[in-house]
Amino acid sequence: MSTIAIIGSFADDARCANAIEELRAAKVGEFNTFSPIPSHRIEHAIGRKKSPVRWIVLAGGISGVLTGLAITIGTTYEWRLNAGGKPLLSWPPFIVICFELMVLLGGIFGFLGVLGLSGIPATEIAPGYNGRFGEDRFGIVVRCDEAEAARVESMMRESGAEEVVREGV
Amino acid sequence: MSTNLQHADHERAKPQAVESVAGATMQTVAGAMIVVGAIAFVFALVRGAAAIAWQAYLVNLLFFLGVAQGALVASAAFYLTQAKWGGSTPYRLGEAFAPFLWVGFFLFFGLYFGRSLIFPWVTHPIPQKAAWLNIPFLFARDGIGLGVMAAASFAFIRVSRSDEARAWTVATDDIALPPHSIRVFAPLVSVLFAVVYTLISFDLVMSLAPVWRSTLFGWYFFGGAFWSGLAAMALVATVLRGRLGEHNLFTNPTVMHDFGKMVFAFSVFWVYLLFAQYIVIWYGDLPVETFFIVQRAHHMPWSPLSVACVVLIWLIPFTVLMSVRTKKTPAILGTVTVLGLVGMWLERYVLVVPSLSLDAIPFGPTQFLITIGFLGAFLISAVPGLNRVAQAATSGEPVGDDVE
Amino acid sequence: MAAAPKINREPSFRDIDRSVLRVMEPAGRAYWAWVGFCFTLVGIAAALWMRQIYSGLGVTGLRQPVMWAIYITNFVFWVGIAHSGTLISAILFLFRTKWRTAVYRAAETMTIFAVATAGLFPLVHLGRVWFFYWLLPYPNERSLQPDFRSPLVWDAFAVSTYLTISALFWTMGLIPDIANARESATGWRKTFYTVLAMGWQGTDRQWRHYSMAYLLMAGLATPLVLSVHSVVSWDFAMAINPGWHSTIFAPYFVAGAIFSGVAMVMTLLIPMRKLLGIEDLLTEWHFDNLAKVVLLTSLVVSYAYITEAFMTWYAGDPIEQMTFHMRYFGPWGWMYWVMVLCNCVIPLLLFSPRIRVNLRALWVITIFVNIGMWFERFVIIAGSLTANFEPSQWASYRPSITEIMITVGSFAWFLGLFSLFCRFLPIFSMTELKEGIVWLRKALKMDRVTAA
Repeated sequence: MSTIAIIGSFADDARCANAIEELRAAKVGEFNTFSPIPSHRIEHAIGRKKSPVRWIVLAGGISGVLTGLAITIGTTYEWRLNAGGKPLLSWPPFIVICFELMVLLGGIFGFLGVLGLSGIPATEIAPGYNGRFGEDRFGIVVRCDEAEAARVESMMRESGAEEVVREGV
Repeated sequence: MSTNLQHADHERAKPQAVESVAGATMQTVAGAMIVVGAIAFVFALVRGAAAIAWQAYLVNLLFFLGVAQGALVASAAFYLTQAKWGGSTPYRLGEAFAPFLWVGFFLFFGLYFGRSLIFPWVTHPIPQKAAWLNIPFLFARDGIGLGVMAAASFAFIRVSRSDEARAWTVATDDIALPPHSIRVFAPLVSVLFAVVYTLISFDLVMSLAPVWRSTLFGWYFFGGAFWSGLAAMALVATVLRGRLGEHNLFTNPTVMHDFGKMVFAFSVFWVYLLFAQYIVIWYGDLPVETFFIVQRAHHMPWSPLSVACVVLIWLIPFTVLMSVRTKKTPAILGTVTVLGLVGMWLERYVLVVPSLSLDAIPFGPTQFLITIGFLGAFLISAVPGLNRVAQAATSGEPVGDDVE
Repeated sequence: MAAAPKINREPSFRDIDRSVLRVMEPAGRAYWAWVGFCFTLVGIAAALWMRQIYSGLGVTGLRQPVMWAIYITNFVFWVGIAHSGTLISAILFLFRTKWRTAVYRAAETMTIFAVATAGLFPLVHLGRVWFFYWLLPYPNERSLQPDFRSPLVWDAFAVSTYLTISALFWTMGLIPDIANARESATGWRKTFYTVLAMGWQGTDRQWRHYSMAYLLMAGLATPLVLSVHSVVSWDFAMAINPGWHSTIFAPYFVAGAIFSGVAMVMTLLIPMRKLLGIEDLLTEWHFDNLAKVVLLTSLVVSYAYITEAFMTWYAGDPIEQMTFHMRYFGPWGWMYWVMVLCNCVIPLLLFSPRIRVNLRALWVITIFVNIGMWFERFVIIAGSLTANFEPSQWASYRPSITEIMITVGSFAWFLGLFSLFCRFLPIFSMTELKEGIVWLRKALKMDRVTAA
């Protein structure tokens, strides 16, 4: 039995989320969704765990603070300048630097994390992708056996798919 | 988000009749607290410990007025930001402590009788500042300020409790602005708050060290007062949650989350305002400015208390309330806000008392009982407001459909 | 360019795309003439800068004691302009404000270009520009390191962090939109957008990570905004100069930054709305809300002026009082009162709901605000320096042609870059407009915002 891809296209995210719930319940195989906007209904329907990006950002923030401490304390020890009688290791200015570096590294790590986790830059187009999914349609691409195809198609149509297309993989 | 809609439907089934949440027991206890406080105060005056009695009076007046007014301004701020995440209940919550504004207004004039023990410039007048720092002018301007503030607050409350306003707060999917009267009184109350509480902080706190000045002090003071109002509201929300029966607004985790976010964010804002003053004064190293901070943060016996303030008001809320889960856990939010309010009281104490009594920390049974007295007065004046909150929280209103 | 269609009050996702993408169609001669004009001015400014690098800072009007004047004023001014973008994109995102979606991309773009412009000024102000890297810590044989106790070093870190984070936030927001634009583009634009979009396809996996990262970046950018202009204000507040040494500077400058920044957003968006034919995306409701932000920050700035005036009297320091007396009534006193008129008095008009939806009036008011805020920085910076502690050192300052042209050049640089962006990248966030489409439709249907 060959695997084929069934692409369903929906006009709004509520119907798409509906279809996803049914597909998940029926356990018909892998599927991918495309949407022009992030949708909480769809995210909820797919039900994956929260993104680990937050840990990456946290790691970045902590590295930023540590880098800030290292730079400020290290350089002040290297060149022990008497600046207006201020103590050598004065925490108020060092806090400012640590804070800025915390935000800088947190942000950079977060950005790189998103790119990495999302798989971009991506050179391949995911099967079933269509320009309309970036414009105003929500899409589901299901990869399943040919035998299941009819069932999947009818599930999608019941949930209100505008268009259901079959494609060989 | 979809859970919100389902929950609202569930709640709309039947608005429950709620027995008075701030009932006879609470009123009796609060009344007893007032009596105890008053007795302690009078006793101290008679016994010759008038200085510490007046110090405690001033600290508590500043703290509790700040909480009451800050909470009211929060309600105004909710209108200005078109907040509909909790229906009408957050508004009622902010307005709950307002009667204390009149209590505070009258108590303010009581300071007249302790003026020579509170204001150093009464016994040692400063000629260059005498045009500003003199008793008649001070009491006139601050009295008028507090009076206008209280009057405006109540005018605001009246329009906020109108049917129109209430209908607006529960119209969750409309972008219409609040009713016209709200659009007059909410900004008015907010602007007055900034002006009047800046004045109060300059006159009742900064003038106790008449040589010192900090342009940010007013903002810092009313920023802290605003935060203490939010913290009190969050605390009441966590307490009422358990006491209002099964389906009340405070069992909605999104609502608690929003309270937690506000407590978190404004505690960071408070520490920012503190740091902004600290770093400028530290860097300039001008003796006329530094002494104030050195007395409080660098010398015993006050430095541990200053550290405690920062820990209670900022460090604990910041670290504990950073995660979404803790914000939604009432026990944690409740504990953090209690600690925070204690911290803010301590902060008022640390601002006021070292200017009057530097070498030792005067805190004993007298001050404690006077504080209890003020707390009792605060609670009693909150009774009708709290009952209104309970009513709103159990009325089964739909809440905002905000997507997280 | 194509005439704008009659305003569609029930836009669909596709309508939003069409409106935004239409702006990116190849432009006519008027547009290129404008861009050319901007970059000609930039060229002149660059030439004068080259001359300054060659001859030294003597070609400016800077003389003791006024060693910081127009260049630093411009620096603070542009960093201030930048803040509005982050306020709108990050802070209002955290507040879940609905009207932010239409304006956020333009504001964020303004931020990037404003910070880039601002970042040039410390370089312009350096006599020996080629030594700018001394501000950053790097290992060297002479054990020379930047002094981290100096606010100028904090500035270097804060502004670079701000530029980086804003750029990353902006890029992240652009990716889905560029992916959308790539679909309908042709020719070299298609290649351009395909490369920039990095293969974004809007899969659930991508959106999941994106949404969380967006929220976290907004959460990071918010305290960053507060910190950056605070650090810039501390360039002055750390000194003990009268008129500079004031604890209120940090939040006051932040409020002033938001004030001038949002005013600049409006100054740019109001004509853009007409010129680019996007009345169906940017409604009076949006401008009403922006105007309220301007009004609020104007009140904060007025509060700061009054507090400073009061505190100067209260503190009783004769030198400080003299400096302020000069500020209000000295030879540059006219600047102060122009500033008060523009920043405190004129914005009071925004209390009127009618004015808040009158786009012409708003445009005029916001231009006044920008003039006022530029003068405010100049009054604080150069004003305090002209009349300092030593009367024998008092001197005035007059900008030279170099400084004037570089100032004009900075405006041209900013406007030129912004204009280029408008045509080549989506100036509105299609993604966010679609997310907020329910609200957009409501806003379009509201005839008068005042109707309650």
